[in-house]
Amino acid sequence: MRRKIFLAILPIVIFLLAWEVSARLEWVNPVLFPAPSAILNELVDLFQEGLPAHSILINHTLATLKRLGIGFSVGVLAGVLMGVLMGLSNPSFHFFNPLILVLMSIPGIALAPLFIIWLGFGDPTIITLGALSTFFPVVYSTTTGVRSVDRQMVRAAQIMGASRLQVITSVYIPWSAAFVFNGIKLGLARGWMTVIAVEFVAASNYGLGYMIWYATERLKADVVYAGILVMILIYFILDKLLIGNVEKKTISRWGMITQKQEE
Amino acid sequence: MTEQKKKSISLSSKLKSSLDFLFPFLIIGIVWEILVQTGIIELRSLPAPSTLLAKFWELTFVNGILWKHLGSSLYRLATGYLLAVLIGTALGALLAQKPLLHDMFEPSLNLLMSVPTIAWIPIFLITLGLGDKTVIIAIFTSSFFAITYNTMRGIEMIDKSIVNAAHLMGLHGLNLFLEVLLPASMLSIINGLRLAIGYAWRALVGGELLAAMIEWGLGKMVYQARYFNDASVMLLGLLIIGITGFLLDKTFLTILERNTVEKWGMTAKK
Repeated sequence: MRRKIFLAILPIVIFLLAWEVSARLEWVNPVLFPAPSAILNELVDLFQEGLPAHSILINHTLATLKRLGIGFSVGVLAGVLMGVLMGLSNPSFHFFNPLILVLMSIPGIALAPLFIIWLGFGDPTIITLGALSTFFPVVYSTTTGVRSVDRQMVRAAQIMGASRLQVITSVYIPWSAAFVFNGIKLGLARGWMTVIAVEFVAASNYGLGYMIWYATERLKADVVYAGILVMILIYFILDKLLIGNVEKKTISRWGMITQKQEE
Repeated sequence: MTEQKKKSISLSSKLKSSLDFLFPFLIIGIVWEILVQTGIIELRSLPAPSTLLAKFWELTFVNGILWKHLGSSLYRLATGYLLAVLIGTALGALLAQKPLLHDMFEPSLNLLMSVPTIAWIPIFLITLGLGDKTVIIAIFTSSFFAITYNTMRGIEMIDKSIVNAAHLMGLHGLNLFLEVLLPASMLSIINGLRLAIGYAWRALVGGELLAAMIEWGLGKMVYQARYFNDASVMLLGLLIIGITGFLLDKTFLTILERNTVEKWGMTAKK
C-alpha cells in the first residue's frame, strides 16, 4: 500500500520539481510557465489582498458559487420534473427526446453570444446558461431512470393496494435514484464548467472565470494558473464531498449501487 | 424471409424513426413561424424559421460560407482527435502491460481525466498563442486522457489465460496487441472513444470561440455574429453545432451497439 502511494506521487513530484527548476533557470519562459512556487505565492497574494473584509480571491469565488448555486438548483428541479414527466408519459418522451438530444450537444459557452443578445451581460446570462447546462444531463438521466422501472414492480405495488402517490414514492423514486444522482453529478460538472466558461465571455465584474479571463488577456500567467487550480479544487470538493455524501445517505441505504453512466 | 424483404423492412423502419425524430422540430418550427407571422411575438433577436431557412440557403448555396466554417471545424477536430486516438491507445496498452508504469501513472491519469476541458483552454491560449495550434492541442488534451484510461482498463480486464495462451502460441509485441489485446478490449476502448468525442467537440467549439486569431469555424461563426447582432446566423450556427455533435455521438453509440448487444443477439425486438 505504502509503495503504491509512493509510486503514485513520484511522477507528480518529479514533474513539479522539473517545472520549478526549469522556470528558475529560465530554460522555459517564466512569464508563460511561472514556477509552481510562484503560482502558490500568487494564490496566497490573491487570497490576502484586501483581506479582512474583501479578499479578492474569495469574492471572485463566492460570486461564481452564487451563480452556480442558483443555476444548478433551478436546473436540477426543472430537470427532475421534466424527466419524471417524460419517463411516465410516452407521447411526451417521443416529442421532447429528439429536442433534448440535439440541444444537449451544444456546449454551454456556444450559447453565450445568443443569450448576451437576449439578456445582456452579467448575471442573467450566466445563471440561465448554468441552469440550462445542468438541466440537460439531469433530464436525460431521470428519464432513463424512470423509464427503466420494472412494470411488474409497479403492478405488484398496485395490487397490494398502494396509492398512486405511494407507487411514486416507494417504487419509482428509490428505483431511479441512482440514475437521477448520476444526472445531478454530471449536471454539477457541466454547470460548474459552463458558469466559468460563460464568465469568460459574458464579462461582468466578478467571478472566477472573469478573473481567469482578465488575466489571460493580459498574459498574467501566474493568476491564470492559480485561478484554474482553485476552479479544479472547488469542483473536486463539490463532486466528492457534497454529492458523494448525499449519495451515500440515500442510494446505498436503499441498497442500490450507482451504475457508472457516461456522458 | 428473403434478404431483400428484410432489407426493405429495416429501411422503412429507419425512415420512420428518423421522421419521428424530425417531427417535434417541424411542429416547433411551424408554431414559431405562425407566432412571428401573426405578430404575437415580435423580436428582432428571434427571427422566424423562414428567415433562418433563407439565411441557410444563402450561406450554403449562394456564398458557401457555411461549408468553410464546417470544414475548418471538422479539420481541427479530426487532427486533434486522431492524434489522441493514436497516442492514447498506444500509451494505454503500454500502461496495462507494465505493472510498475500502471502504479506510477494510473492515479495522475485519473486526476487529469477529470480536469474540465475549459480549464485547459486559457493555459494553451497563453502558452501556444491564439491560433489553430491552441484549439487542436485543446481537442487532443481533452480526449487523450479518456482514451488512454479506457484502453488501459479494457486491456487489464482481459482474462489472463487468454493472454498466456497467445504468448505460448508465440504472439508478442505488436502482433499480440493487434490480434488479441485490441479485439478483446474493444468494448472499453469504444466507450472511451465515445466519451472522448464528446469532450473533443466541447473543446473545439469553446476553443474556436475563445481563440482570437481564428477566422473560420462553427464556434467563430456564432461568436462573430454577435458583432453584427445577427441572431439568424447565430441560431443557424448553434443548430449545426447541436446536430453535428449529436450525429458524432450517435455514430459511436451505433458502433458500440453493433459490438455488444447485436453481437450477443440481444437486439431489442419492437
